[in-house]
Amino acid sequence: MVISFAIMRIIPGDPASARLGGVEEEAIAELRKQLNLDGSIVQQFSRYVIDLLHGNLGTSLQTGRTVIDIIGSTLPLTIYLILFSTFFAVILSIPIGTSIAWSGKAPIVYTFRGITAVILATPNFFIAMVGILIFTVRVNWSPVFGYEPEFPQNLKYLWLPVVVNTLIMTSVVSRVIFSSVVETKEEEFVETGIIRGVGRRRFFWFYILKPSMAPTVVLLSYMMGTMLGATVILETIFTLPGIGREMVNAVLTSDYPVVQGILLIFGVITVFLSFIGDVIAYLLDRRVKI
Amino acid sequence: MKAKFAKFKEWLLLPGGFGIFTGLLMLGTMILLGIIIPNFGPYKPDEFIGDPFLPPSWQHPFGLDQLGRDVMTRTFSSVGIDLGVAFLGVSIPLAIGTVIGILLGLAKNKYVLSLAGSLIDGINAFPLLIIAVAMLTFLGSGLRSVVVILAITNWARYARISRTRAVVVSKQNYIEAAKTLGFSRRRIVLKHIAPNVSSETVAYALSDFILVIVVVSGLSFLGLAAKPPMAEWGSMIADGRAYLAQSWWLVIFPGLALCWSAVSLSFVVEGISRRDRGI
Repeated sequence: MVISFAIMRIIPGDPASARLGGVEEEAIAELRKQLNLDGSIVQQFSRYVIDLLHGNLGTSLQTGRTVIDIIGSTLPLTIYLILFSTFFAVILSIPIGTSIAWSGKAPIVYTFRGITAVILATPNFFIAMVGILIFTVRVNWSPVFGYEPEFPQNLKYLWLPVVVNTLIMTSVVSRVIFSSVVETKEEEFVETGIIRGVGRRRFFWFYILKPSMAPTVVLLSYMMGTMLGATVILETIFTLPGIGREMVNAVLTSDYPVVQGILLIFGVITVFLSFIGDVIAYLLDRRVKI
Repeated sequence: MKAKFAKFKEWLLLPGGFGIFTGLLMLGTMILLGIIIPNFGPYKPDEFIGDPFLPPSWQHPFGLDQLGRDVMTRTFSSVGIDLGVAFLGVSIPLAIGTVIGILLGLAKNKYVLSLAGSLIDGINAFPLLIIAVAMLTFLGSGLRSVVVILAITNWARYARISRTRAVVVSKQNYIEAAKTLGFSRRRIVLKHIAPNVSSETVAYALSDFILVIVVVSGLSFLGLAAKPPMAEWGSMIADGRAYLAQSWWLVIFPGLALCWSAVSLSFVVEGISRRDRGI
């Protein structure tokens, strides 16, 4: 079941990126005949797929570096950014979501929903701007521009983007945990647990949190994909040399092979993440159908 | 009048009523200001009226920008652009997606179904912002391309919802009843299936509106949608970014306007969803 699912999910992702590639090359063929992009779309498409199987994503029109090389040098930073913010968001969301759902007091719930709604509706670049205004302009805790790749120094540049990302993710994740804990509370096995007198710690982890985590994990895997989009903007604001900023630069300079390669990587990552998310959700709650 | 007010009060006290009311009030204020200030205000959005970087004062409540233009006029003149582009970017995919979804929900051909299904999944696999940024490379940047891109990519989300819904609806008893009564296929689809499917997609469209506003302004922020002389929240914020240290008002006011619109919509969405669930 899991394997058939994997095939079902991975296949639609790849033709999509390939399809975009095909359309893109069609545009190039019109615009730039000198790039040796002639022949029918089918030919181009098959050539693209063959190149892809050889691990050749083309070379940048702007700098002449290979696309693989560009992705290899910029992707890790973006992944760290996303992983750190996801990690902190989960750590913060579990206590916030469960405690608010468990208390169930109307004023607290309303405040929680109001605050998270405002954060969610605010574009991340505005939150980032306010962050810069407070932490860079008012108190000089974070440098405005630049980046140093060495380990201890780079934290100085990374902490503010991570905080901004974490803030946004926490409000999404804690909302989902909140609503799934509210649902779990109504389940009969929770009542059974109370009646059986299960120890407090065991009750919390196994009766409340574990069943509530399945939707959260699915959402997290989806959110991490969306975060790829968010980092495009965050990296541009904080001038971090990640893959998102590389993509924006490539778009601004019409560097088609780079855009195409990055898009492909994003597609692969998103499909992979949603697959992992579904598998973990299944392991947590066997009632989830894959 | 009094009876009407009592009815309104009753409506307000139902679940979510307060959220819908506040949201609509906030949105209405924004649209009203967006109409009044650029048209009847003393300045024009691209008129140079004074010293650059004049801080907020009574005469210019939002201050002046780097070229000496009135930030307040510019902020409110972009209400129409931002909300208008977002409206087009939601309503076109809504229409396309709902129709395609209904057709797929009723389709029997296996090849069509699996092809369309993987196309929809493939488009949905990418975050909207990423796909928009990538497609701007070959459509060229500009607000018109943004609307086109939203139309050709965002329909997939609606199609997925409306397809699932159409499959569910077409199995309902009232569709069976309509068939037994001998109604034409066209009448069943238009009068019985379409309304029940579109209620679902319209509900999603409302929450999608927020996402699209954020995406449009995000693209402008990256310099890919609205071009510099045009007043647009995202591009105003991007312009003001260079002067953030000295003149915060260039960034904060357009940003607040953007937040205000998005938050008002999210109150409406939340209110409606709570009313549906009755809590």
